[in-house]
Amino acid sequence: MHKWLDRAAPVLTFISILAIWETLCRLLAVPSFLLPTPSAIVIAAFAVDIGQWWAHLAATLEVTLIGFVVSILVSVPIAIALTNSRFLSRTLLPLLVVVQSTPIVAVAPIIVVTLGAGLLPRVVITFLITLFPLVISTATGLQATPPELIELSRSLRASRAREYWQIRLPFAVPYIFSALKVGITLSVIGAVIAEFVAAEKGLGYMILFSTSSFKVPQAFAALAILVTASLLLFQLVVQLQRRFFLWSIPASR
Amino acid sequence: MKNRFAWIAAAMMFASMSSSAADSIIFQLDWLPGGDKAAVYLGVQKGYFKDEGLEVTIKPGRGSSDAITKIGTGAADLGTGGIGALMMAAAEGGAPVKAVMSIYSKQPDAIFTVKGSGITALKDVAGHKIATAPFSSSNTIWPVMLTANGLDLTKVQMLNADVPALAPMLATGKVDATIGWVTTGPAFEAVLKEAGKQLVMLPWSEYGLDGYGLSLFASEKMIKERPQVITRFLRAYIKATLASIQDPAAAAAALKSMVPEADLTAATAEYRASVPLMKNPISDRDGMGAFEPKLLKATWEWVAKAKNYPANKIDPEALVDRSFLPKK
Repeated sequence: MHKWLDRAAPVLTFISILAIWETLCRLLAVPSFLLPTPSAIVIAAFAVDIGQWWAHLAATLEVTLIGFVVSILVSVPIAIALTNSRFLSRTLLPLLVVVQSTPIVAVAPIIVVTLGAGLLPRVVITFLITLFPLVISTATGLQATPPELIELSRSLRASRAREYWQIRLPFAVPYIFSALKVGITLSVIGAVIAEFVAAEKGLGYMILFSTSSFKVPQAFAALAILVTASLLLFQLVVQLQRRFFLWSIPASR
Repeated sequence: MKNRFAWIAAAMMFASMSSSAADSIIFQLDWLPGGDKAAVYLGVQKGYFKDEGLEVTIKPGRGSSDAITKIGTGAADLGTGGIGALMMAAAEGGAPVKAVMSIYSKQPDAIFTVKGSGITALKDVAGHKIATAPFSSSNTIWPVMLTANGLDLTKVQMLNADVPALAPMLATGKVDATIGWVTTGPAFEAVLKEAGKQLVMLPWSEYGLDGYGLSLFASEKMIKERPQVITRFLRAYIKATLASIQDPAAAAAALKSMVPEADLTAATAEYRASVPLMKNPISDRDGMGAFEPKLLKATWEWVAKAKNYPANKIDPEALVDRSFLPKK
């Protein structure tokens, strides 16, 4: 019984929050344009054709995943470069900090005007939002390798490539995965920001479209789908780590 | 080598053939595809553009300045936007964009309030709380509007709020009035109805504001390189507008078929609300799409006053090109 309760706890919490939300909205007669009830959101969700939801979701996922993969592919070499060379770390790192401290929302319209209205500007915006935490965590991980191991590998005349591939990168795996978990949720946010600025499809666009025509329940429905997708993507990263890098997960959990 | 030239020549011939088959146009809207934008969708759905040999792709936008930037940079060929924004762009340094047709010959700006708020004329706003969207083009005209009605900004309490928040704020009584376009009236009505209130609109055009509003823009590049295409586009666009005015529900249905997010009833109401801006004594007198020199000058004078530009900063005539309108 106790075990069962433990497993069901997250779901039960979620259901009770929805129940409280629904009752409070009904008791206090909160108008739907302020805060719609969960039931109104579900009704609004089903009022939209399922194929249409799918098209919006697919558009957002496309931007999210391309942006995410590109930022992984770019961040690992950058992180290696940062740990490898004092010169690069002195030149590249400040640039990365500049990118990270620039509010993307402020420059997004400029990116869209420069790069046109296609998929590219949206991917670039997502990429810029995701890149920094990935680089920093990966670089930290690469540097976290015990110095004795590096010395040992150097005394055995292992090549730099082997040093990274067989010692440093494995040590960085836990760091990389914690960055990937942050990164995937940031990618979703990046995709939505990009869709706010320029898109004719996607859940971000759907939210903008719904709120500007005062269809608040529909906007909440789009938001719910977005959050669910984000949770699933997060779980996907967790499962990938469990499946392929089980050793990198601390035993206490 | 010779062979390669033959290939290129063949490819070029094919390219020129396919372009003469249908000219493609990217049409940039100034905002999301709401009901007030339905006419161009009707033109696509009914094949009016196709009859003119045009293939039109419609892109939603994020404001008049966004549309002007996209047309100016060549990301779009033609588009819509407030001519006031084009005048401001010209006064601030210029964009390679010209207005080729007027769509609204009356300004769409209005004060929205509820029945029983005590505001029944524009001068009644004194002492009241008014919300507006931070980037609304109406904001620049508003102080001049107040002066013209014997008030000034110190007499009212202004609040900035995002567009989606305006109707809820009015409905909950957080503010006494909001500033918006008459085309959004139906959406406000729906929200206010839920709160048991009734919308009252005070269009600024009834309190002295005159001039052109939404207009159709073309890039200077387009005007230079493909003038014939603009003429054909305008012919089809006017045909679509007249058909939409006749039957707003059909226009809304055309919009819905291409923009599934749209709401049929709301879109019909929105288009209907925009009809008086397009079809009115001014358009009956000058013809649809015209830029009458005096009214164009008046439009600029409002902008100049609002932004404190010297009256001779730009020549509004230099921003329009009337040569593409159908001959009367």
